[in-house]
Amino acid sequence: MSDKVQPAEAPLGEADVAGIAEYARIALEGDELAEMTAYMNDAISILQPIRGYDLDGVEPTFHPIGDLSNVMRADVVRPGLDLPTALENAGSTEGRCFRVPSILGDGGEA
Amino acid sequence: MATNLDQLSAAAIARGVAAGDFSATEVARASLDAIEARDGEVQAFLQVASDLALSAAAATDAARAKGERLGPLAGVPVAFKDNMHLVGTRTTCASRMLADYESVFTSTCVQRMIDAGATPMGKANMDEFAFGSSTETSFFHRTNNPWDLERVPGGSSGGSAAAVAAGEVTISLGSDTGGSIRQPASLCGVVGLKPTYGAVSRYGVVAFGSSLDQVGPFARSVSDVALAMNALVGDGRDPLDCTSQDCPVDFLEHLEDPVEGMRVGVIPELMEADGLTDEVKVAVRGAREALESQGARTVEIELPHMGASIAAYYVIGPCEAFSNLARFDGVRYGYQEPGCSTLAEQSSRSRAHGFGDEAKRRQLLGAYLLSSGVYETYYYPAQQVRTLITQDYAEAYEQVRRHPHAHEPAHGVQVRRDLGPDPDVPLGHVHHLLEHRGQRCRIGAARPREGLRGSRSPPSSSGLPSRTAASSPSPAPSSAPRGRRPAVAPAFASRGGELS
Repeated sequence: MSDKVQPAEAPLGEADVAGIAEYARIALEGDELAEMTAYMNDAISILQPIRGYDLDGVEPTFHPIGDLSNVMRADVVRPGLDLPTALENAGSTEGRCFRVPSILGDGGEA
Repeated sequence: MATNLDQLSAAAIARGVAAGDFSATEVARASLDAIEARDGEVQAFLQVASDLALSAAAATDAARAKGERLGPLAGVPVAFKDNMHLVGTRTTCASRMLADYESVFTSTCVQRMIDAGATPMGKANMDEFAFGSSTETSFFHRTNNPWDLERVPGGSSGGSAAAVAAGEVTISLGSDTGGSIRQPASLCGVVGLKPTYGAVSRYGVVAFGSSLDQVGPFARSVSDVALAMNALVGDGRDPLDCTSQDCPVDFLEHLEDPVEGMRVGVIPELMEADGLTDEVKVAVRGAREALESQGARTVEIELPHMGASIAAYYVIGPCEAFSNLARFDGVRYGYQEPGCSTLAEQSSRSRAHGFGDEAKRRQLLGAYLLSSGVYETYYYPAQQVRTLITQDYAEAYEQVRRHPHAHEPAHGVQVRRDLGPDPDVPLGHVHHLLEHRGQRCRIGAARPREGLRGSRSPPSSSGLPSRTAASSPSPAPSSAPRGRRPAVAPAFASRGGELS
């Protein structure tokens, strides 16, 4: 570890976590917001060792197979799922389609 | 005298089926019988695929009757972690989100086991979406450790490990992102291997952390793990997984190699780790001494960035999980909340009620860590730290071929049941193996040390002392044959599963 430890940022508040939950499309209900806020701050605290190293000039490893890029296959048509199979696990279907609620809600012009 | 399925290795089953000593159907029925007799207590399975098993076994028997050459896993009963698609079964990831999901295709790893002759027995319990280390976050039920039903089997592949440890199946597959094969193998006293990333196809395995996930086998002996690995990698890279790599290795080749002359690394820093119990220290020291007595030379090595590994994992894992689990929006598959007036509301409420607490926590953490401004503070540095950790290992492997690594059952997580050391439950060693590329991989060195795994197997034929025999003897059942008998948790050995 170097002496490059940086101060931790301010703890997340419930409003921050509510915003993250909205972005992640996970509705938090009842006590969940307070519990999740406490969890997030605890989790962030154990990530601090990441900030303690001198990483100047160190290349990131986004993937363990570093020399791998643009793996292609021949551009030929091959069979995929048939329609009944593709639809069989959906909660709502209509004809050949997945059925979803209106994008904009009742009265919206989607 | 009748033989019990749990006393046979995978190789012995395949040989027996090929020789006509017993049929694949008889083996499948013995496995179903063992599951019936044992799984009420162990609860390793989420779904027992009886019809699928019996039809696959019948196909193996029909192939033999026609004089066809059988595969190396002919008739071997295998369980699959429930994040692996298999047509004819549900794939639930132990989540309410996918409770009713019917597999519409079969994953490559499962198919390769079946192509090698294995009989698919069903789907094994796990932590929800593989988030956990105890198999307690399964939406459906917990799995119990066959060595002590009051203890957890580890996780997230706890069902796969427990099914093998209880002798319900001979081999199982699990997946490992941050320890999910290695840790339950350790806690259940069986052999588990996380292969080098890319060696085994991930096609058809529900993704958690795509740059870390890897499928691997559990078995009761190193040689059975090697046999399974050959089946998993034997056909080369999988064109359906662009990260799949050729792995031109015969995992059976070095099984009988002596350890004499081998350099084995030990990491002194790990022996001082927080929470490491005296029993584990004694076990690791015993392993070191046993290896030295067999002619291996131990070398003390350092991994200078090891202290950042958990933090790096807890950045990279949740970020990749958040990205991967975004697909569960309640539209094409998965739980769908009724009565929602907008698509956004349906997504948010389906995800809120379809995912369990841990799955929600990890996704929200990932969402936060990938957000603008935070990405630069944690995500990018974590990927740089991964480079440093990789370099540490590369340098360590320059000095040694492999090292024993103390694996403390507590594993740094809180679990409801006590995981502390106990003389009646196994301790395990984690062996780090070389990457397979360049054909440097060998798992033979683990073989002579099987007696050191801390399981209740009798001393292996190599004559190495059993760690537990020294510290806490627990005799094998008197009826057990000598030699390399697979280690089944004593309470379950020979309960159901008889092969005539």
